[in-house]
Amino acid sequence: MVFEQLTGNLFQGLVLGAVYGMATMGLSLIFGVLKVVNVGHGAFVMVGAFITFWLFSALGVNPIFAIPVAFVIGLGLGLFFYYTVIQRLIKAPELATLLATFSIGVLLQEVVKLIFGSEFRGYNWTVGKIDLGLTVLPVSKLLASLGSVGIAVLLYIWFNRTRAGSAMRSVVEDSEGARVCGVNVGAAYAWSFALGIGLTVTSGVLLTMFIPVGINPYMGGGYTLKAFVIAVLGGLSSPYGAFFGGLVFGLIENGSYTLFALLPGVEPFALTRFLSFLILLIILLIRPTGLLTRK
Amino acid sequence: MKNQVTKYYPMLPVLAAYAALFLIGRNMSGMWQLVAMLLFYCALGQAFNIFLGMTGYVDFGYVAFMGVGTYGMALAISRLAHIEGLGAGIIVIGFVLAVLMSTMLSIAVGAVALRLRGAYFAIATIGVNEGFRFLIEGARIWNGSEGIIFTAQLNQILGREAASALATFWADLFVLIIAVAAALVTLIYMRSKIGYALTALREDEDAAKVMGINVTKFKIIAFITSASFAGLVGASSWALKTPYVFPPEVFEIHYTIEAIIIVLLGGAGTLLGPLVGGLIYGISKYYLSIFIPGFQLLIFAPIIIVIIVVFPEGVVGMLKAKTRNTAAGRFIV
Amino acid sequence: MTLLQLDNVTKRFGGLVAVDHVSLEIDAGQFVGIVGPNGSGKTTLFNLISGVFFPEEGRIYFEGADITRMPPYKRAPLGIGRTFQIPRPFSSATVRENIAVGAMFGTLGKKLTVDDSMDVADQLIEKLDLTAHREKAAGTLTPVEKKLMEIGRALAMKPKLLLMDEAMAGMHPSDIDQMVAFTRQIAEEENISIVAMVEHIMRAVIGMAEKVIVLHQGAKLVDAPTQEALKDPKVVEVYLGGSGGR
Repeated sequence: MVFEQLTGNLFQGLVLGAVYGMATMGLSLIFGVLKVVNVGHGAFVMVGAFITFWLFSALGVNPIFAIPVAFVIGLGLGLFFYYTVIQRLIKAPELATLLATFSIGVLLQEVVKLIFGSEFRGYNWTVGKIDLGLTVLPVSKLLASLGSVGIAVLLYIWFNRTRAGSAMRSVVEDSEGARVCGVNVGAAYAWSFALGIGLTVTSGVLLTMFIPVGINPYMGGGYTLKAFVIAVLGGLSSPYGAFFGGLVFGLIENGSYTLFALLPGVEPFALTRFLSFLILLIILLIRPTGLLTRK
Repeated sequence: MKNQVTKYYPMLPVLAAYAALFLIGRNMSGMWQLVAMLLFYCALGQAFNIFLGMTGYVDFGYVAFMGVGTYGMALAISRLAHIEGLGAGIIVIGFVLAVLMSTMLSIAVGAVALRLRGAYFAIATIGVNEGFRFLIEGARIWNGSEGIIFTAQLNQILGREAASALATFWADLFVLIIAVAAALVTLIYMRSKIGYALTALREDEDAAKVMGINVTKFKIIAFITSASFAGLVGASSWALKTPYVFPPEVFEIHYTIEAIIIVLLGGAGTLLGPLVGGLIYGISKYYLSIFIPGFQLLIFAPIIIVIIVVFPEGVVGMLKAKTRNTAAGRFIV
Repeated sequence: MTLLQLDNVTKRFGGLVAVDHVSLEIDAGQFVGIVGPNGSGKTTLFNLISGVFFPEEGRIYFEGADITRMPPYKRAPLGIGRTFQIPRPFSSATVRENIAVGAMFGTLGKKLTVDDSMDVADQLIEKLDLTAHREKAAGTLTPVEKKLMEIGRALAMKPKLLLMDEAMAGMHPSDIDQMVAFTRQIAEEENISIVAMVEHIMRAVIGMAEKVIVLHQGAKLVDAPTQEALKDPKVVEVYLGGSGGR
């Protein structure tokens, strides 16, 4: 019984993990290229969630179509914040970008709170359920998960098969070398930041499929923490590492929740959140460059 | 000897400002509530500045130290109330426990995080407040998510009247004392080798190391000092003013955000900065709450972004640069 | 008396061997020039001596004690000071404070109060002719002034060994002569061994160095008294390009 429940939950964890992974790729991309830690990450996830909510409840737009809208808005936000803030801080002490991205996150929260208020919101997109043997899964969750994998694959192709993508990769590996080879490093920075934010906002769309009534201006904080756990699992500067980190994290989260629920006298939900923090500290202690990376 | 005295001249404007705040609060009717809030923000800024300002490292989980400090006071009062004859001494025990608990947490966090540089340090701290909150709730430590309510115990020990005076006056006075003490410690550090070591490591950690500076040691000193003051602020401004503690409230990242705003606004790493930042932020928040309650961060988030980009030295930092080598400069640090 | 000894020291970065089985000895009070083109492993060698990196192989001794894996902040109080290729001032602090930091944590660090350190700084500022800049923030200095200040900061440590990384690069020839005279005077007065690292065989350094060590691709090519080293065919090969070069 417990075993069946565990395998079912682990499978669900894998489904959610793909979305988590996709939701962290933007964070890793930005760190990899610009060496900027986007401490406001979760707020961009939140923006994606509100775009989905608003499109669905005000205009009746299918959440699937919210994906391109969120991506384009994310690109726009990314370019805007890059040129107004980040670009001016590239050479400043690290503290400056940490505090700036943090403040950008706060700003987004407050703007969304001004527009939508601070109560929890949700929307109801029912497309049925599907029995996968191990567990019964709402089709919406399955679509979000498959969508995440699809986006990760598209990103892989874009990185490896296009000129812009390989320019960006060369900046990750050696920004001075790339400059010498004629890559416009400034543009690569701007578009990497924009792409990273675009991916993050898009992930907010997909995440709403898992949180029926959890859309709130302050929902991002939890995702920032999760994203950091995932990013250090997979290596902070590798978007693919982040994707696999997400899968691992999904498994850990659902697996530990199932096991904690068996313990008497504890609150499994809170303990699971504590565990993710503990994992973050342990990885940072033993291998800050990430567990899934080669040396 | 005279030199030793002039070194501490910058304490004069600090003391004058806090004395003025106190007098305004006591003598102008209806002002104490505002003064109490300003004292809280100034104390929070003074405490946070010792770490953020002096080391250039940012601890996004800083509120956790205020949280455990609040628990220290709450535990002392709720668990020791039955002991006869403690009287007001229980408050002293509470403060001691608050310092001990925040120090212990800072050692635990620092042992992991302070080995890490820059961004990785920030990542390690970002979940400390949430992590600790969920540990308390998840493992049902100290009543878990139900928190601790100790109004009855406080009334029983001190009597209803004294307990009320504690909440409306003495707690705020303690905050004032904590703020002054934090400022004094900041200045003592600045004038000692600790301050020079911290400046060196903030500007260039690798160069500081080969200059013979044990950077980890000095970071830990600043971290623990800053954390224990945060514990004291929590214990008096939260536990004594409102005799209950709930995990989601005392580990709320909102207070870390406010601390960052205050320190940056006033000038990170300066003595007067947190005072100036605390006053500007507190007064703005107070009056903004009349027109647009709850939206002060909507105003301050863009202001802070502008400060980071355009004048990272903050208000006092700019004043300091302007008054360098003048008579006034001796007081502005 | 041998002050510093490196015994078969190797440092690798990934597959790249930055310092390749280097052994050398530097005597107390000796002036040594380390010469080598960019990428020859000079800076890595300095980083190994000052403790920024630890070597994979070999041992490092200072005054006979093994310091191979000693953290950098413990080496400075023993008497190892250094300057950097590109000056690294503590920008927001004044020139005086920068130099005083050297005194505070150097060999006399434990005995000096903050005020004593400021006195040490004032003396050096005068010697280095930086009096006009005493209260300026170090970040606002010109590159040459920063270099001077950094040398002052290192000297304030009262080191026994001073590692100077391209200390005179970018300076005007007349400034170099002045700098050389000053460094030499201090070194003699205080019996400091100076290891000056330069990319090219500079007249100024050669004029002072008792010994020249030439590094090439991480390995020691030549280690000989200056006049001998200059005539060594291997040095001529590396520096004059051998056959068919320029």
